[in-house]
Order: sequence, then structure tokens, then C-alpha cells
Amino acid sequence: MKREKGNVFVIPAIIWIFTFTIFPLVYSFRVSISRISYGKITGFAGLSNYVRMFGDYRFWGTLRFTLIFVSISVVATTFLGLGLALVFNRKMRGLKVFRSLLTMPLFTAPVALGYLGVMMFYEENGPVNVLLKYLGMGKVPWLSHPWWATLAVCMVDVWQWTPFAFIILLAGLQSISDEIYEAAVIDTSSGWTVFRYVTLPLISPVLGTVLMLRLVDAFKIFDVPFSLTSGGPGTATRTLTFYIYTQGLRNFDLGYASAMAYFLLAITMMIGMLFFRRYRELYE
Amino acid sequence: MSKKRHRIVETLLWIVVVIVVLWVVSPFYWAVITSFKKPADVFRLSSIPWVQFRPTLNNWQTEFNQRGPEITRGLLNSVTIAIGASVFAVFLGSLAGYGLARHRYTKWRNQSMSFWFLSQRFLPPAATVIPFFLLMKSLKLLDTQIALILVNTTFVMPFAVLIMRDMFKELPVELEEAAWVDGCSRWQSFVRIALPLAAPALVATVIICFAFAWNEFLFALVLTYKKASPMTVVIAGTEHTQGVQFWYVSTRLLLAIIPPTILALTVQKYIVRGLTMGAVKG
Repeated sequence: MKREKGNVFVIPAIIWIFTFTIFPLVYSFRVSISRISYGKITGFAGLSNYVRMFGDYRFWGTLRFTLIFVSISVVATTFLGLGLALVFNRKMRGLKVFRSLLTMPLFTAPVALGYLGVMMFYEENGPVNVLLKYLGMGKVPWLSHPWWATLAVCMVDVWQWTPFAFIILLAGLQSISDEIYEAAVIDTSSGWTVFRYVTLPLISPVLGTVLMLRLVDAFKIFDVPFSLTSGGPGTATRTLTFYIYTQGLRNFDLGYASAMAYFLLAITMMIGMLFFRRYRELYE
Repeated sequence: MSKKRHRIVETLLWIVVVIVVLWVVSPFYWAVITSFKKPADVFRLSSIPWVQFRPTLNNWQTEFNQRGPEITRGLLNSVTIAIGASVFAVFLGSLAGYGLARHRYTKWRNQSMSFWFLSQRFLPPAATVIPFFLLMKSLKLLDTQIALILVNTTFVMPFAVLIMRDMFKELPVELEEAAWVDGCSRWQSFVRIALPLAAPALVATVIICFAFAWNEFLFALVLTYKKASPMTVVIAGTEHTQGVQFWYVSTRLLLAIIPPTILALTVQKYIVRGLTMGAVKG
């Protein structure tokens, strides 16, 4: 087989990605170390934008919310997804229909879900509060209290992404052959032991994939806080991406926004690296 | 397992199924019934049509009479952008996927290239939105569908590359080898043999890319003002001074939600592979 000819196939895609991601990223790095006025580079600013970031309490606020959101959402989606996958890892009639239904949230625009959330979490007679009333609980100020708003954003995200964790983990579980289980059951009796020493090690690459993708996606979140809470009340649910958007494209502080964008990029790339190092063999 | 215990387990399972289905479906259900409610019914505790409230088509009619042009334009933009992006992405992606599946590259190794494509998914949109805005501004492409097609192609292409790579890997190379013996070139065997055989995955990839491009919001918000705004931006621009008009919001939400969802449900089989992009052989 001639080797050079293969280049024809990959080069278009490589050129495309180079033009539309590498070039913009380099450009935005340049913007982040430049002085900008009216959208034009006027001078060199050094690292001042990065330094400013560390002294900006609003930046820390958004970072804090982002971290809280990421931890709640990633832990909840993974655990719920794993739980559901374990429950449904069996031959059952109707499982396919169920799976199809569960994928619906995945293909719903997050921004639309945010507005759907506004309807669901409406304080006066919204369905969630009505349900809570039936259960004997008081009215919850879902969108007007910082903590409840944080929880609301997390809940919408968990609602959207639990199916993702579920479907992928289920696929992982179903690729484990029955013989392995049969052998394990003879040796041990406790379900927990089987799970801990047989299932868990076998699905660990899948679990790793889910965790990494969820982590990275959660760090990037913008749509749901934008439409559900507009980052509010106050700035309680403003994510890093949201702040970058506000600073860069509302206030036109392009240099500062680019610096923060680089900070976010560093976080997601770090997670990506960890993933690559661990699961290299999957991409042979 | 005894028969009795088996039955208890089955029952518990079905209870879980019911709870989960209710959990997943109820927000959609709420949007549907709200769109058929009279404004007065919206804030009343009513959830069963015909029993607790009388459904009406008024909201849909009013919405289309008052905002018809805006909505049709939004839908048309969404369709154009999503189709444009998925076609480009699948074109470039199946080429690259084929290359990665059939060739052993020595300069940049195959593994590194697959990584590189996958790493595009790790890229936060916030990091490229500003340079993109400046780029499109200088190219005078702001508020055009082209700008969004370019952006979305970039974001969904990694899906296409890696799904197609896996697909081509599964196709037996012997079929193509036979063609080479008969004098076909690599390119001819790709177009005439491999591509048609990969058709199911090709369709699935188009649909997954379509759904993701359709749902994209941040870039659409930044790069369009009015003319080229897709549905996601149209629904975001509907806050009212009289408070949120849920009955109209839900009609618009449904218009934005239904098309990609229906399409996605049709490619169920490929979804796992598509979403993890090869990391799980599901």
C-alpha cells in the first residue's frame, strides 16, 4: 500500500480544524496579552489581564459557582446513571422503548431546557412547587434565592445528562460477558462483592470516559444558567463561560475575556490530558 | 432465585421504570399542555386536558399570526445551518475517518491524530467565541448563516471523524482489495465500495451532527442579530415586559425541541458510539 496517498483523506479535515480552531486560539492568545480599544489591537499589555483575573472577586465568584456546579452535577449524573444502568442491565421487555425515551433530554437544546425549567420551577403554582406542596413541604424560592437557584441549575443539568451516563454505562455493562458473572457468582455470594471486584474493574474505562466527558462539558456550561436564571439572582449562578461572554461581548473587554477563556481552556485541557494518558489504548 | 423473590424484583424494577419515565417525560408533557392552555389556566393547578382545562389551539395560532415571520425565519435558519454543518462535517469526517481506518500514517501517528480530533470536543466554546466574532466581523460574515455553518462544522466534525473511523474499521478490507486487483484506485474503492457500505453510519452521523448543530446556542447568540438567528436564539429573545408568557414560550420551545429529538430517536443504535466517539464499543 502506498503511504503518501493516504494524506488526501485526512488533510482536508486537518486544514479545516487548523483554520477554525488553532488559528482562532492563537489569535485569542494574542488578544489576551494586548491592549485593545474598539476591537483593534493597540499595544502590548503583557500579563496584566491574567494578573487582573486573580484580583477580580467577580471572577472568583463565577469560578466558585462553576466548581460547585461541576461537582454536584458530575457526581449526581454519574451516580444516578450508574445506578440506573445496574438496575436495567438485564434482559427485559420494553427496555428499548425505555432507552429511546431516556435519550430525549440529550437532544433537547440546553437553552430551551432552561426556559422549560423557568416554567417548572415557577414559584407561584409551578408544577415543582405544587408537587412539593402535596408532599407537605413549603414553597421553595427556586429562582430567587442563590442556593435554590444553584440547585435548580444543577437539577436541569442532571435531568439532561443522567441519560447520557446511563446509556453509556449500560452499553459498558452489557459488553461484559455472562460467563464472567457466572464464574464470580459461584465463588462469592454477595452482590456488593461481585460489583466491587468484578463489575467495577471491568467497566472502569467506560466509567472514566463518562466522568471525563461530563467534567469537561460541565466546565463549559453556559446555556442553562443563561436561560434559567440569567446568572442570577444577582450573580449567584454566573458560570465562567457566562462571565467571559459578558466581559468580552457585552462590555467589549476583549483582552480580559480572552485571558479568562485561556484559564478555562487550561482546565479542560488538563482534564483531557488525564483522560488521554489513562485511556490511550482506546484510540489505537 | 425463588419464584416469589423474582416477582418482587420484577415489580420493583417496573416501579423504577415508571418513576424514571415520569421524571424524564413530565417537563415535556408540561410544555405540551401549557402550549394548549388558555393563559388563565396556566397558573391554575391543572394538568389533565379536557378534564381540568379545555385545550385550545389559540396560542399556536396567535403565535404564528403575530410572530410568524420571525419563527419561520428561525426554523429555516436552524434547518439551513444544521444541514449545512452536518453535510460539511460528514464529508470531511468520512474522508478523515477512512484515512485513519485504512492507512497507517508514519509522520503523525494514527493515534495522535485521533486524539487531536477528539480533543476538539474538550475545547471550551468560550475560548474560541471571541476570535470567531472578530474573524467574522472582519470577513463581514456577522449575522449570516455561513458563519454559523462554519462554526458548527468545526464543532461537530470530531463526532463525524471518529464514528466514521470506527465504521470503516469494521468493514472488511477484502472487499476493497478485490477492487484494487481489478484496477480500482484507492479513491474509487472509497467512493464506490466503502462509502455505500457505510451508509447506515453515515446517516446516523448526519443526524447526530444535525441535532448538535441545531441545539448550539452561544455562537448563534454572538454571531447573529436577526437575519440569521436560529430557533435557539429566537426562543432566547422572547422575554416580555408583561412577565413570562408561558403559553407562547412553550409553543416556541416545542418547535425547537421536536425536530432534533425525532431525528435522534431514529438513530438510537448509533447514539452511544456517537456520543462517546469511539471510547466505548457499544
